[in-house]
Amino acid sequence: MNNKEKYINAFVETFGVSAEEVEKLEYSQIEEWDSVGHMSLVAALEDVFGIMMDADDIIDFSSYEKGLEILEEKYQIKM
Amino acid sequence: MEEKLSFDLMGIQSCQRNRYPLLFVDKIIEAIPSKSARGIKNFTFNEWYFPAHFDDDPNVPGFVLVECLVQTFLMTFLCMEEYRGMETSFVSINNVKFKKKVVPGDRLEMDARLDSFRRGVAKGHVDAFVDGIFTCSADFVVAITEVLDQYKPKETE
Repeated sequence: MNNKEKYINAFVETFGVSAEEVEKLEYSQIEEWDSVGHMSLVAALEDVFGIMMDADDIIDFSSYEKGLEILEEKYQIKM
Repeated sequence: MEEKLSFDLMGIQSCQRNRYPLLFVDKIIEAIPSKSARGIKNFTFNEWYFPAHFDDDPNVPGFVLVECLVQTFLMTFLCMEEYRGMETSFVSINNVKFKKKVVPGDRLEMDARLDSFRRGVAKGHVDAFVDGIFTCSADFVVAITEVLDQYKPKETE
């Protein structure tokens, strides 16, 4: 599984959505992505990529696209 | 040296938000903040659910046992000054095991272990015993909503 697939899989596992659905997801757009779901997603990504995200990055992580950008630019994870 | 705390019923209620008829831990014998808690719950026939569960075989419902376990678990982190009185919510309950029926007159002793506590999300495990015999256990993930709210993204337009 490459990094992009791992990233998508974290959304799928955390929110119970299909891989096709995740690309347009934004925070609070679906019931599962609430404040609890948000922290579960962050924990899943930290486990998968072996990183520890800064508080500011967690707050900025407002969508699937924004998360990709943060992980690539701040944590050097090639997608 | 580890700080060891203990809480009576009023002390427990100063730490967590559960109240009668849904408060299911009577005493915390020992709590080591961010590490563990040992609690007890005494069951008498006066408990409100015994007449309904069941009239010919009174025993503690499974959901009550799960609440006993988690309310002891909560004390592993809600005993810390900065989190006292904060509202919590379940994230997940896994590996729940019931091995022995609990009946009026039993005293449930619960050992809770906090495995991790980060950004308001607590993960851990609780074992419970009656007369030294393993009775039930579960793994919990519980969140402090007030802490989580500090990390949620700003609502988009």
